Amino acid sequence: MTFITKKALPRRTFLKGLQATLALPLLDAMIPAATAWARTPARPVRRLGFVYIPMGCDHARWTPQGEGTLGDLSPILSSLEPVKKQLTVLTNLRLEQSYPGTHDTANAGFLSAAFAKHTESSDYHLATTVDQIAAKQIGRDTQLPSLELSMDLNPLAGVCNNGYACVYQNCLAWSSPTTPLPSEAHPRIVFERLFGEGGPASARQAALRSRGSLLDSFNDEIARLKRKVGTSDRARVDQYLDSIRQVERQIERAEAGAKENTTPDLDRPVGVPAAFADHAKLMFDLQVLAFQADITRVVTFQLARELNNRTYPEIGVPDPHHPTSHHGNDPEKLLKISKINAFHVSLFGYFLEKLQSTPDGNGSLLDNTVYMYGSGLGNSSIHDHENLPILVAGGAACGIKGGQHIRYKNGTPLANLHLTLLDRAGVQVDSFGDSKGKIEDLVDPASI
Amino acid sequence: MRHRSPGAFLNVRVVTVGLAGLALSVCLHARASAAQQTAPRVAQSSPSNSAGAVRPVPGNRQVIDRYCVTCHNQKLKTAGLMLDEADITRPAAAGEVWEKVFRKLHTSTMPPPNMPQPSIEERKALLSWLETSLDQAAAAKPNPGRTDTLRRLNRTEYQNAIRDLLLLDIDATTLLPSDESGYGFDNVTVGDLPPALLDRYISAAQKISRLAIGSLPSLESDIIRVPPDVTQEDHVEGLPIGTRGGVSVHYTFAQDGEYDIQVYLTRAYNGDVEGLKDPQPHEMKVLLDREPIGTITVQKPANGDDALLDKNFKFRVPVKAGPHEVGVTFVRNSSSLLETARQPLQAHFNERRHPRLTPGISQFSITGPYGARVADDTPSRRRIFVCRPAAPREEEACAKKILSTLMRRAYRRSISDADVERPMAFYREGAKREPDRAKPQGTSDGDFDAGIARALSLVLFNPGFLFRVEADPNGVPAGTAYRVSDLELASRLSFFIWSSIPDDELLDAAIRGELRRPDVLEKQARRMLADPRSYNIASNFAGQWLRLRNLVSVDPNVRLFPDFDDNLRQAFRQETELFVDSVVREDRSVLDLLKADYTFLNERLAKHYGIPGVYGTRFRRVTVTPDSKRGGLLRQGSILAVSSYATRTSPVLRGVWILGNIFGAPPPPPLPNVPALDGNVPGNLPIRERLSLHRNSPVCASCHRTIDPVGFALENFDAVGRWRDSEGDSGAIDVSGGLPGAGDLKGVAGLEEALLRQPELFAGTLTEKLLTFALGRGVEYYDAPAIRKILREAGPNRYRFSSLILGIVKSVPFQMRRSS
Repeated sequence: MTFITKKALPRRTFLKGLQATLALPLLDAMIPAATAWARTPARPVRRLGFVYIPMGCDHARWTPQGEGTLGDLSPILSSLEPVKKQLTVLTNLRLEQSYPGTHDTANAGFLSAAFAKHTESSDYHLATTVDQIAAKQIGRDTQLPSLELSMDLNPLAGVCNNGYACVYQNCLAWSSPTTPLPSEAHPRIVFERLFGEGGPASARQAALRSRGSLLDSFNDEIARLKRKVGTSDRARVDQYLDSIRQVERQIERAEAGAKENTTPDLDRPVGVPAAFADHAKLMFDLQVLAFQADITRVVTFQLARELNNRTYPEIGVPDPHHPTSHHGNDPEKLLKISKINAFHVSLFGYFLEKLQSTPDGNGSLLDNTVYMYGSGLGNSSIHDHENLPILVAGGAACGIKGGQHIRYKNGTPLANLHLTLLDRAGVQVDSFGDSKGKIEDLVDPASI
Repeated sequence: MRHRSPGAFLNVRVVTVGLAGLALSVCLHARASAAQQTAPRVAQSSPSNSAGAVRPVPGNRQVIDRYCVTCHNQKLKTAGLMLDEADITRPAAAGEVWEKVFRKLHTSTMPPPNMPQPSIEERKALLSWLETSLDQAAAAKPNPGRTDTLRRLNRTEYQNAIRDLLLLDIDATTLLPSDESGYGFDNVTVGDLPPALLDRYISAAQKISRLAIGSLPSLESDIIRVPPDVTQEDHVEGLPIGTRGGVSVHYTFAQDGEYDIQVYLTRAYNGDVEGLKDPQPHEMKVLLDREPIGTITVQKPANGDDALLDKNFKFRVPVKAGPHEVGVTFVRNSSSLLETARQPLQAHFNERRHPRLTPGISQFSITGPYGARVADDTPSRRRIFVCRPAAPREEEACAKKILSTLMRRAYRRSISDADVERPMAFYREGAKREPDRAKPQGTSDGDFDAGIARALSLVLFNPGFLFRVEADPNGVPAGTAYRVSDLELASRLSFFIWSSIPDDELLDAAIRGELRRPDVLEKQARRMLADPRSYNIASNFAGQWLRLRNLVSVDPNVRLFPDFDDNLRQAFRQETELFVDSVVREDRSVLDLLKADYTFLNERLAKHYGIPGVYGTRFRRVTVTPDSKRGGLLRQGSILAVSSYATRTSPVLRGVWILGNIFGAPPPPPLPNVPALDGNVPGNLPIRERLSLHRNSPVCASCHRTIDPVGFALENFDAVGRWRDSEGDSGAIDVSGGLPGAGDLKGVAGLEEALLRQPELFAGTLTEKLLTFALGRGVEYYDAPAIRKILREAGPNRYRFSSLILGIVKSVPFQMRRSS
């Protein structure tokens, strides 16, 4: 929609009425670099993605009937019909470690399945999240080991101070128990992280070399700093040094990529679309692009944050999300929550269809990519972490069976799913968080 | 903040009344768990102790046994607080416990209202004993606390530092990811440096140095978007009189050259240009520094199809590098429509409910430069190039001078020759003339500039600039309170008052080692408060303390509040910022924040408030009378709107907000795992009745009995801050409310009066918030004596703003630090 390839579409497509996508001037000098654009079918890669939605769901309209083979989709999930074969609904997964139930720990626990230390200071402590465990392995060879995205541009004051530092509520991905990763909501910044500022290959390489030498100097300064601070602060400085290593690797890979002059012709997004849906789609487009160019293989995307008071008048919900989620079983409020749920799911559906229609290796991007979608709250009205709304999509080539509804009788750790997804992505760990085993039903027996 | 129950769902408050827990109606419900860390409330108690020897009052033990130990004992462990065995004769031995007791007693939030209460004398005596003994112990052995050793600049600080270092305005939100908050401020959890941020810092340093020097080729494009809910029927502040609608921005052009400005009109959902109904033409102007540089007539095409109408609204204009004001607007038509027809609404942006009457600007882009030339004279270049080499042999020395001057300011310390070595190496590399690069015509310093630009990016991407480091001095034993260095003090001061780097005068004083002298420190602090940069206290500090930042996401329901638009949202913020700033600048009593006979209005806001006689978009100070219902923070639209929902007011949100941010007795967070109340609460009940259901449930009531009445007092203000005497069919609004320690009260006036009767509580809360912001860490129990001292000294001065700021600057936690 916003990214226009030269071959497929005229450079400027005038989309009447869609202001959001207008006015993204293409500057020839900014045509970005991309790494290995064309994927060789011989070496398909595996990718993992995670999408977070806040404040649980309306279970009655979320959960499909029956179990086993996925039958009719529920009202909320109906927009996923085109990708149903690659969709699994999981019912009755829970997050034990997120109790006592809060919005902060719902977000923090979603990918960590770990307990969030109760603090507002910089001594916050969680666990390495599932995406980052994957990134350390399957992200080794890409320019960015992982990409963290979100939708909320404005930091809010005083909405997450129930004794929890805001990092818990806002950061999904943690690369260590003490390193929350910031996410980016501005499409332009994301674009530049992926492709740099563009220019001809020689200029791009010069720009990367220049970044490299700045980083060398920074590294020396930090090493000097380490000698200056006391032992208690050295661990912190070591984290900085780790970050430097990582950015160095990014630069090296980008340099290697800049040599291969197979650059796509892309419009660099300049602004942030005003409408939520347009912004979300653009962020999903960027994920497709990042996979296509193999710049990263691990993505986390917070589609909205916990405690969000966003209103959705465009779908008939002029009420703020958070207080509405305290529905107290009021049918009117539940209906509104289901509309928000369905709206979010439809955006995810847009993305999945795009993955499905993008060739990759012998199949599509969707075949080689597994996405988990869901919330860390089940019934937001009472802040519980039971029966979380969870979907798994894609990954046929990774042995994900698809077309299923896996329904547990009793609450089962969400971490079991994390463990299974890691396994499918080719990352072997014995356990994760409070996992008690893998979800065998998710996997196509033929693939083992 | 979590359970915004409209009544249908109700929290059951069983467990975890944190250490700061409010009244527990039934002790049995309480169980020690999850220590809720809440900053201790501190305030000045009544001055009752005589100077000299302090002895425990024999009655104190009995008072505690009688009124506190019923719940707070070893067996019940209510809120984790056990007072049966705590030693009241030596409070300082268990400072954390007794500071908690002090705060609860002082704010009258303990004992709970339904339990036996100590007499006023008993309360006073106990408070006085606690205060005196805790403060004496603190004076004898100060504990200044420990701000983190490594703290990076946050986004606001980075932007301000660039402004002060390079005289360059940047929008850091487009360069860096947003910061996370702790204790309500975004300068607390800033010790991290994840790869994504490091990566952004490099890009930002490169972009900024290009922009500041204006010598390297770079083609940029930026979009200036007008929020879709801006009404554009009237004059817009910053644009010339006689214009209507549009937008005006400050924009820095990197280089001399030609730039494309392309304008887009607002369009309805069906794609039609809005407000283009009649054949009347509208004259659109593009302005550069308020001078028209392009005109286009906007008119409905003859065939009615306006799909391509703004396709070619593009101007290519020559611009000199540096900051300029770029505006796009319309010439105001002498429209009878607007002048005579009485419009029921001021908002015009929603195509169905209140459509635009005339076309509006949705966005414009600036792309360029084309045919770029090296910038010659811009504020940034004047700031950076403190010398110009007249001959090639002077280049090295001049570069060194330029860089060391920049580095001194950027790193906030004196710069040695060794420090400059690396930047000089970068300079030489950048200045190297490529064989194929022609010498710029007529200049000899094209490559000199490129060298400086390259070195500047290194200076900006340096831990000395990006981090504030406070390391323990060599040889200080562990756990010792030591004075921070003069340089550290200078940065503490400038980042507190300006959220930016020290200026030369402050830095000079620190480098000379004079800043620690109390007279020098006070003089500098006063000078900095008087400097325009201290507007930061209103915009950044108060933006977070009063949550003005959240206004951007306030989006009232269009059906219920059709007259809300971005113009009003901006006016809300402006009013409160100007009001807070007036207290800072005129050095008023901070109590004026709660009650004042003036405020700041423009026409839009005055109309919203129903105050006549204010015309135009410009804000001005307006004296308000009691019947205007305005004056004081609690009556301002900003605060009333951010504490409401999109569809209605929330007495719970407002109550929590006032208790935490004004009164200083933050209720504990809502309980986890609260089951919903049985049955459903009819949604058509007035809010007071809906909430009464959960105040009747004993477990909910323990907190909501305190929270809700505070919010009820503000019910005369609707969700967008308009005054109302009745609501819907429910008739007159009942504004009976209450405040701990003050009992029952009526309406906003009653609430203000009750707050002003205990002025030390509000002054203490503000001091605590300021101290959190100043130190970049949570305020802890051991800071309480310092805060009481500030209040004792500021009290006789009626808590003038400067007395709080200076009190903080002179305080132990600000001047000292504890070694690890």
